[in-house]
Amino acid sequence: MHESVSESDARSALARVDRERRRVIGEFGMPRWYWWSVALGWIALAIVTDMKRPLVTLVATVAFGAAHSTMYHYLAAGRHRTDQLSIRTETVSWYARVAVLACLLALTAAMIVGALLAQSDGARHPVTISSIPVAVTIVLGGPAMMAGVRRSIVRSRTAA
Amino acid sequence: MTTPAKFDELIHPTTRLSIVALLAATDWADFSFIRDSLELSDSALSKQLSTLEEAGYLVIDRPVSNDRRRRVRTRLTPVGRSAFAGHVAALQRIVGTASTRVH
Repeated sequence: MHESVSESDARSALARVDRERRRVIGEFGMPRWYWWSVALGWIALAIVTDMKRPLVTLVATVAFGAAHSTMYHYLAAGRHRTDQLSIRTETVSWYARVAVLACLLALTAAMIVGALLAQSDGARHPVTISSIPVAVTIVLGGPAMMAGVRRSIVRSRTAA
Repeated sequence: MTTPAKFDELIHPTTRLSIVALLAATDWADFSFIRDSLELSDSALSKQLSTLEEAGYLVIDRPVSNDRRRRVRTRLTPVGRSAFAGHVAALQRIVGTASTRVH
């Protein structure tokens, strides 16, 4: 049969293979509850920080970090947007981890800048105030960021 | 390590190739996900999965109890992954050989 397979048949089969791989990459992402959990945890941490009790803030920060880390590893960085499949690590490569971590670092930086601005303006709860737009960004922007990562993965695989 | 090219007649038919290609990108996938993605009927998908299972290319984790809510998961075996990689390499070789002939 091998000899009877034409070039166009082979191309068509390879295109089918690529289509199915893209279909799986299309399922890459975090469940919606993940983004809500991070956003609400972010605001809670900000409220605690504004209480100006260093020990409580430290405990809350560690608790938030541990909870997020557990969730993050459970969801394996985007491999479980749905519970209908588990995407292979090789399929999404390292993009997911880098994207989520970069996003969280950028949001932390944005919150610090926002809190400093709010504080200089005399706000009583600067960290809480600056955490709200960040939380909204997480809920609204998280899925969009993952969509961008999906496109990047497809592009990188196509170029490879 | 490069997988040696080996055309696999069991994988090559359209539906089976799509099933194996989809599973190759996953650790596991639900029966319903494959069925809906490839727009197959339950019986058509079951038949193809059984053929691949008999060849040792995939494993079907069937529910132990009669609980219908429990999902059926499928995953490729190492033998299935290797056969798929070899088949893709064979297809690429056919395309490559043809391109070389043209140029």
